[in-house]
Amino acid sequence: MKHNILKLGYLLLGLFIVLIIYLSYLQVIRGPELAVNPYNRRLEEFESRIIRGTVFDTRGTVLAATGYSPDPGKRVYPQGPAAVHLVGYISGRYGRTGVESVYDRHLLGMEGIDQVRNLVSRLLGREQAGGHLVLTVDAALQKTAADLLGDRRGAVVMLDTRTGAVRVMVSSPGFDPNFVDEAWSRLEKDPDLPLINRATQGAYPPGSIIKVVVAAGALSANPGLEQEVFNCQGFLVIDGYRLTDTAVHGNLDIKKALAVSCNTVFARLGLSLKPDGLHRAVNAFGLKKDPGLGIPVRPGTMVAPKAMTPVELAASAIGQGEMLVSPLHMALVAAGIANQGTIMHPFVVESFKNAQGQTVRQAVYRPWLTAATPDIAGVLKESMVDAVVYGTAQAAGLPEMQVAGKTGSAQNPHGQTHAWFIGFAPAEKPRLAVAVILENAGAGGSVAAPIAGKLFSAAAKRGY
Amino acid sequence: MKAENYSQKAGPGIMSITGAGRSLERKLLFWAGIYAVTGMLVLYSAMPLKTGLIALIAALVTTVAFFLVSLYWSYCGYRGDLFLFPVTAVLSSTGLVFLFRLDPAYGIRQFIWLLAGLFVLVLVSRLMLDFHFLSDYKYIYAMAGMVALLLPIFFGEEQGGAKRWLDCGLFQVQPAEFVKILMVLFLAVYLAENKAVLTAGTRIIGWFALPDLREWGPLAVMWGLSLLLLIFQRDLGTALIYFSTFVAMVYTATSRLFYVFTGLGLFVAGAAASFYFFDHVRTRVEIWLNPWPYIETSGYQVIQSLFAISSGGLTGTGLGGGYPGLLPAVHTDFIFSAICEEMGLLGGTGVIILFLVFVFRGIKIALNSRDEFSALAAAGFSALLGLQVFIIIAGVTKLLPLTGITVPFVSYGGSSLIANFILLGLLLNISHEACETHET
Repeated sequence: MKHNILKLGYLLLGLFIVLIIYLSYLQVIRGPELAVNPYNRRLEEFESRIIRGTVFDTRGTVLAATGYSPDPGKRVYPQGPAAVHLVGYISGRYGRTGVESVYDRHLLGMEGIDQVRNLVSRLLGREQAGGHLVLTVDAALQKTAADLLGDRRGAVVMLDTRTGAVRVMVSSPGFDPNFVDEAWSRLEKDPDLPLINRATQGAYPPGSIIKVVVAAGALSANPGLEQEVFNCQGFLVIDGYRLTDTAVHGNLDIKKALAVSCNTVFARLGLSLKPDGLHRAVNAFGLKKDPGLGIPVRPGTMVAPKAMTPVELAASAIGQGEMLVSPLHMALVAAGIANQGTIMHPFVVESFKNAQGQTVRQAVYRPWLTAATPDIAGVLKESMVDAVVYGTAQAAGLPEMQVAGKTGSAQNPHGQTHAWFIGFAPAEKPRLAVAVILENAGAGGSVAAPIAGKLFSAAAKRGY
Repeated sequence: MKAENYSQKAGPGIMSITGAGRSLERKLLFWAGIYAVTGMLVLYSAMPLKTGLIALIAALVTTVAFFLVSLYWSYCGYRGDLFLFPVTAVLSSTGLVFLFRLDPAYGIRQFIWLLAGLFVLVLVSRLMLDFHFLSDYKYIYAMAGMVALLLPIFFGEEQGGAKRWLDCGLFQVQPAEFVKILMVLFLAVYLAENKAVLTAGTRIIGWFALPDLREWGPLAVMWGLSLLLLIFQRDLGTALIYFSTFVAMVYTATSRLFYVFTGLGLFVAGAAASFYFFDHVRTRVEIWLNPWPYIETSGYQVIQSLFAISSGGLTGTGLGGGYPGLLPAVHTDFIFSAICEEMGLLGGTGVIILFLVFVFRGIKIALNSRDEFSALAAAGFSALLGLQVFIIIAGVTKLLPLTGITVPFVSYGGSSLIANFILLGLLLNISHEACETHET
């Protein structure tokens, strides 16, 4: 019988070991998955005890704050729709987006010194507070850009070319983050897709603005190209496919070809680059990369080099192939040319402050990519100035400063062309780069370029 | 103060013998006390002054009470196991700290029950030191136990789906908690007496040697009783404890797997039948298999428990940092989930290991005991406590279907606490007796 008692002991020992193993599995392996289950009210309860930090713009204007009155605990967005896609929203039912989502832990005081202080406060039953964020955007400029877009579908991105700071990020149509729950069913069904951040997640054919990238790639592949003279007869035949131009441009060099946006020259440049060369040029500007902004960005896509036919190659070189890019990526192209070929790492958070308001982390300016040599960037800049002076982008011109730019009118299956503009100002000593797109709004030169000009002017008045 | 009086009376000579006798126990109790007071100090810092003070005083008084019991045993020359009592102290301190944290009102009541439990423990260790007299009246208290068990079916109060409380006016009693102990004692006596017959069997049917009806009759009654509990009291957990303890003890006594398999077979048959005939059993099983479709109704409890446990992670949120308010019945059935949330995997495992030590000492006592009755009783008590812990913890972690039973010494509940202190006292008495016979 003693033998049996021992066996009983082993059985109980076995049962307890099973319990310990299963408990470890639950707490360590299943834990993270159960923590984010929508039925788990812990995160909500946890948040309800914390005063979420405030989000400021670069000049100290409040973009998002947790109110005390009349509705304590409610997240308020005083700027309404102007910065909704960047700042995001918080909804108990529909989740959270933008900066509110990406920097959730900081805003809830779950990082660094705030975490320690909040743990003590929680144990002592005191009020807990989260950290604050200062963004790089300017609320007034956001509003200007949103007004310029009006009720048209499109997006605007403005960057500081020297630092990579995002000064403007607007996607239109917007919506009011203060009433997400109430408007959700309408927003979700809206055919204009107001919930999408077109600035970073839009996927558009680039049209002629890609020629800047192709020119940079062609110039770095063949340094003697700058002196070469091309002849444009108004059309080009590739494998029996006839590619027509907007005009017969006659004899011209690459700089003029960019200024007047000559399709035949760039189709030929594309063909001479070959698929690998075109991909190299696109990669040099990081069009297929996620620049690591924090908020979600859609990297650009194009046909793989091996699958690229000569017709696709020529079409891609003038921005009409299967290539799709986001406005942010194209703003980075303009910023790189403005900054002597070096693209600065883009960022949206200027500084992180703890609950007491002390700065705990400051944005560091660092180069992201070397897209072109300073010489090549200089050539591109000159022809982009020409485009504004006498070429396709004249509508972006300003009396108070020299603007450089490139327009695009991207054909697409949804109707009228998408109107594109990328550019920077002032040309002599660039500070700001911009990308503007308006969906199915017509020609870039007449629709997008004036918006860019007005935005440069407004930004200069605010001291950027 | 009390300790000093004893030492004066006993004189230096006796003191040195008896003092050395249980000094290890008091050393361990000292750490248990530090543990309890630390826990209450954490609570004290977060609570309103008055309740915080009460919690702190409760921890101090409990610690002193445990100490006094140990000193009293030293004085009497009690030779019971030295580890069981400190383990119990840590477990009941954990329970007390968490109950104060969850709801000070429960904490205060548990504190009083804890003192009552210690008093009962001292009584058991004094009055039942020679527990063999129990074997003479086995059928009397077997009957009494059965009646007590069946009473709630007719006069019981239903709480949380299970009908197992008897209202005594001042407080409610859960007879099943006490009858568990009677069952183990009855089985120990009965099996020790009839072991030979049950093992060999008296008549041959086919390949099996079956004992006479008179021998296995009472066993069949036990089986029937478990099913009755299951069906009429809707008390799946208690039925499971009774039945598994019963099977474990029969096997220990007879070494015959035939009884184990017959028992398991019958239980499965009974469970399967009730699965088809009783909605509440079916619901339990369905929730166990997949609770997510029932998340807002019947699956709510176990999913909340899973959320609580998994949010603890390795080290937990810290005492007072979790959200036990989201758990239903957190002070009784789900207290282990709250412990896991706030003390993490380390705390949860710690509690399991404490029970493991308890069971280990119990098995050791059974192995060292003098006669078969004592051995069977000690093994039965160990199995009873171990299986109860397993069933409730497996339930709240969804390893087994959820059953509403208490975590011994930790959960809130006077009946449970006192019954478990009686169990502890009987185990200690068995070890005391073994100790004496080994040394003299």
